[in-house]
Amino acid sequence: MTLVKEAPARPAGKRPAAPAAGRRGRRRENLAGYLFMSPWIAGFLLLTAGPMIASLYYAFTSYNLFTPPQWIGLDNFTTMFQDPRWQKSVEVTLKYVVVATPLKLLLALGVALLLAQKRRGQGLYRAAFYMPSLIGASVSVGFVWRALFSDDAVVDRTQKIFGLDVGGWIGNPDYVIYALVALSIWQFGAPMVIFLAGLKQVPQELYEAAEVDGAGPLRRFWNITLPMISPVLFFNVLLESIHAFQVFGSAYVVSDTRCGPADATLVYTCYLYQKGFKEAQMGFASAMAWTLVVAVALVTAVLFWSQKKWVHYEEAAK
Amino acid sequence: MQQGGNVERRTILKAAGASLAVVGLGATATACGGDSGSGDGTVTIRYAWWGGEPRTIAIKKTIALFEKKFPKIKVKPEFTDYEAFWEKFQTQASGGNPPDVFQNAVGFLRKYDKRGVLLDLKTQADAGNLSLDNFRNGVLANGQVDGKQIAVPVGANTMALVIDLKAFEKAGVEPKFGWTWDEYFDALQKIQDKQKIAGDTGYFSIMYLYDLYLRQNGKAFFTDTDLGFTEADLTQWWEDGYKRVRSGLVADPKKVEQVKPKSALSAGLAASEFTWDNFSIRYEGEGESDYGLAPIPTTDGKDTGQYLGSLMLSGFSGTKHPKEVAQFIDFMVHDPEVGEIMGYDRGILATTEQYEAFKPADDNNKGVAAYEEEVAGAGVLGKITPHPSGADVIEAAFLRIGGEVAQGKTKPADAAKALFSEAKAAFAG
Repeated sequence: MTLVKEAPARPAGKRPAAPAAGRRGRRRENLAGYLFMSPWIAGFLLLTAGPMIASLYYAFTSYNLFTPPQWIGLDNFTTMFQDPRWQKSVEVTLKYVVVATPLKLLLALGVALLLAQKRRGQGLYRAAFYMPSLIGASVSVGFVWRALFSDDAVVDRTQKIFGLDVGGWIGNPDYVIYALVALSIWQFGAPMVIFLAGLKQVPQELYEAAEVDGAGPLRRFWNITLPMISPVLFFNVLLESIHAFQVFGSAYVVSDTRCGPADATLVYTCYLYQKGFKEAQMGFASAMAWTLVVAVALVTAVLFWSQKKWVHYEEAAK
Repeated sequence: MQQGGNVERRTILKAAGASLAVVGLGATATACGGDSGSGDGTVTIRYAWWGGEPRTIAIKKTIALFEKKFPKIKVKPEFTDYEAFWEKFQTQASGGNPPDVFQNAVGFLRKYDKRGVLLDLKTQADAGNLSLDNFRNGVLANGQVDGKQIAVPVGANTMALVIDLKAFEKAGVEPKFGWTWDEYFDALQKIQDKQKIAGDTGYFSIMYLYDLYLRQNGKAFFTDTDLGFTEADLTQWWEDGYKRVRSGLVADPKKVEQVKPKSALSAGLAASEFTWDNFSIRYEGEGESDYGLAPIPTTDGKDTGQYLGSLMLSGFSGTKHPKEVAQFIDFMVHDPEVGEIMGYDRGILATTEQYEAFKPADDNNKGVAAYEEEVAGAGVLGKITPHPSGADVIEAAFLRIGGEVAQGKTKPADAAKALFSEAKAAFAG
């Protein structure tokens, strides 16, 4: 009885103190953590979150950078949807995304399949194919591209041998977008590396079993490789299309900063830049930015929804 | 790990605190970067301009000269090309941090005056920090808006036709003062027939040339607040232009696009190009032929519609050192030695002191001097017309939309409509 009586008394006196000390310690530890993160947090709040919230507000205002923003409701959006240059920029961007993304992924997958086989010097090959991804986004490569695809330059001369004389791609509104597409495809190294990792994960015994059953290489690819790497494929499609929607640097440099000729390389972000920083219509530019955010979110949502139909997860199968 | 927890935590906190302090210090240091006073009375002013490398080299020499004569004033140079300059300037000015002194042009005066960015130099002149005397041919007025002197000219320039002398000579055509547009295009036709190159590089996309054409016809590109011509006028101008692209009289825009940043004239794609006379020096450097200046074609056989434009220097209204800024501008526009160094890079020197100090020795500068003398002698020079706020955006739009017409991507009537719609937005901005 005494034991029973005393037992609750002791913890009642001592225990509350212990968690309090622990909590204080943990709180101090958390504080240290936050302090360590503080440069990042400050950067995020000041340079990312703050401007984003501000731009959401500006999207509903008329703002020329000098006079305070004036609330105009949805005017920016209605003007934007009727603006022929905005429509053109959407058209150019969609063309770029729809053409460049699948071609880039196809090439990445193709080369990854070749490089997945064990052969001498494979590290060298992988490095060589990956290299363009590292430098492809640089301004200097943009200049090189402009030089390559100009009139009477390497590409043009090679074409002429086959009787395809278009007089250079850069100055031609019908071709210049494909020079940008080519630049994007050339950087297939990044998705290729991801595909390679995916290919390594496919259990070898599946292939062995299929071979015993008499499946040929095409069949094995279609029925084993593709389903097994479909999560990786999904990831790459998602990443590359989001990336392609935001293309800017290559269009800006290859077109000599004007996103021309005749607006043929006027990708969405380039028009946004012109509106914001050349014409100082920050309200309009912000409205454009948020429209892009919503559009990319929608595309992402559709991709996620569609994965039920074609992406095969090993866990789900079990 | 567990036992030493407390000590480590304290160290960690200290380290984190220190890193925060460093970040804070960094911020303070950056903030100080904009300030320019120092204990011994030396002040630093920022001077920004756009232009090619020869200009930058010359200006840096003049800065060194200024610093030697005004040891208490240090000048920090900033330079880039034309388009990047104004993008950067706009951002800096909206943040209240533009350069103290900067190169300016007539298309930007009202825009930045309206936004309160420009220093009224009349006040500085009244205070005796800057002289507004001895400007030639009345160019001082180029920097005046609504009774304020918001810029001071460093030079005077005018539009010209730069021609490939060899191509013109071989085709047996000679430009003469007062020739008409018909005579000009006939000459181009002869060049095309005999030399197998286009006559012009794309005249109809140049806003300042269309301005001259309009002035020849009693109009102008801008009024005080609006465009000074009709959609029908512009449709006609672009229809004629596109016709001449189709016939090969004007160079193929696809090729012109691809030789950029080189000019299509120096690349040998065409035999002539309209531009400002002080730009003519670039062609000698870029191209293989010989180049010279020819008169602007006219409508009535006499009036070219020309006027003297100017590159100018302006100060920032919010500068901490208005007096030093005024002294700097004064030195840059009046000092004879500066005139000798700069030559006609920014147009014919604007003040008599500098004009007399510089005797052009090379063919190009001599050519520019002779050209402006000829134009002035003909008595056709008119007054500069207004450039409302937004003129810069419209100039860019004119070039771009003209390019679409040339490429055959936009019909002239639609193009004219687009320009009017963009102009409306630019005036409102």
